[in-house]
Amino acid sequence: MMSIERKISLPAYKLVYAFCFVVILSMIRGISLSCEIGVAMEAPMAVLAMVFCADTYTQEIISKRSEIHRLYPLKRRLRSIVLRMVVQEIVLFLFSAAGYGMFFLFQNPQSLYKAGQSSESELHMFLTFLAAMVVTLWFWGMLSNILSCLSRNMWAGIGCCFVLWLVTNSSFGEKILGSWNLFSYTFRNITDSGDIRWLCGKVLCLILCILMALLMPKLIKKRG
Amino acid sequence: MNIKVNDLTVTFKNKVTAINHANLEIPNGIFGLLGENGAGKTTLMRVLTTVLSPTSGTVSMDGILYCEGNYPIIQHRIGYLPQEIDLYPGLTVQECLEYMGDLAGVPKDECRKRIQYYLEETSLTEHRNKKMKQLSGGMKRRVGLVQALMNEPKFLIVDEPTTGLDPEERIRIRNLLVDFSENRTVLFSTHVVEDLAAVCNQLAVMKKGKFLYAGSMKELVRKAKGHVWICQVRDEVQAREVEKKYHISSKQLSEDGVQIRLISEKMPNIDCVPVEPTLEDAYIYISGQST
Repeated sequence: MMSIERKISLPAYKLVYAFCFVVILSMIRGISLSCEIGVAMEAPMAVLAMVFCADTYTQEIISKRSEIHRLYPLKRRLRSIVLRMVVQEIVLFLFSAAGYGMFFLFQNPQSLYKAGQSSESELHMFLTFLAAMVVTLWFWGMLSNILSCLSRNMWAGIGCCFVLWLVTNSSFGEKILGSWNLFSYTFRNITDSGDIRWLCGKVLCLILCILMALLMPKLIKKRG
Repeated sequence: MNIKVNDLTVTFKNKVTAINHANLEIPNGIFGLLGENGAGKTTLMRVLTTVLSPTSGTVSMDGILYCEGNYPIIQHRIGYLPQEIDLYPGLTVQECLEYMGDLAGVPKDECRKRIQYYLEETSLTEHRNKKMKQLSGGMKRRVGLVQALMNEPKFLIVDEPTTGLDPEERIRIRNLLVDFSENRTVLFSTHVVEDLAAVCNQLAVMKKGKFLYAGSMKELVRKAKGHVWICQVRDEVQAREVEKKYHISSKQLSEDGVQIRLISEKMPNIDCVPVEPTLEDAYIYISGQST
């Protein structure tokens, strides 16, 4: 069923706009150092995740298939949603990794590690970026899906997510939430690789993901 | 399979009452649900499929009461074809049905057997590898019907399955419903009287959230006996005069003028002759009685 879920949740237009988004982002978001790539990518990729995953279930509502879905056992409906989320998140993750490479391709940033000004290797930076993106993409994708289901409207879901995105991805959000900010990876001190306080924000994202996963069955039962 | 609707009321948040203290019993076989647009047919179906919860009143299926705790048992017995449905456009017919069968909990092998059987029954076998978006409206309705039958439901609910289809497709869908109604209860909702006349013996007529009639088709037609007339008028001007006074069932232009089929409680005071009522006449007669 995985291949069918892939066909349902990843139509060609979604792949095309996501790819274009990553290419354009890596071309127009100016950076000069390789350690800035993660900062340049996290917040925009969160926007992509919220748009990408908003129709995970709401497509069933729009097409009126949800009235048939209601007759199916809840476990199977949830399994279908989880599979769709997994395929979408994998694609977003791969695009993130590719986008990281595209920054090198289009902007040829300087490496502080090669210049001997940082102890953090390029590979370490890349792996840290990937780990942070897994959490960020899951959080924003799930939130968007949950809010879209709640309002039974994907645009309302995207809108609510975007408000939270604006609040947290701002100097106000940075000041109020500190290392617990949802974008703590973006706001971390990029020159000090030993400072791992930004992990708090990602742990918060993970906890919220678990809570959303627990909420999902009730939400699908009531609003699906 | 026996469905009982008892004093059912559905009122929406905007205070609109879609179903108003309705009572109905649906026996085995094809049961027609007739009514104008906005009569409450779709709302009733949404209640019967557990999509909507009633504001008051009860519904039961073979004695099992519709309530949160019983929904899984009830839902397992229902097959539903909604009025408007867009089945996965990017999937082929086979994939779409396999996917929906899997969601319904039908074991894989059994699911494939059923798909093969129903695709043959619906003459869709040669289209099984076509994508859903490549199918005509009638084919999509047939696939919709097959998905509704995938879990071998005891209670099949079809909401206006023939709307927007050409005559050939309509006849095909109607015949399929007759074939599938053996040992099942099929609730066939429509506002096309002709469709019901072709397939049902039992029906209910809805208007403004109430049942105006529930029973056999023969009885409904019998009720209209003596109330249907045909008259011939000279021209359109005269025809309009008649239209103002009576419910018109049909109007036909002929060489001699305009032939009008009208419904009237008493004999109209124009030159006319009584005729045998059709189901359409009976429906208009019953609907007119409530106004």
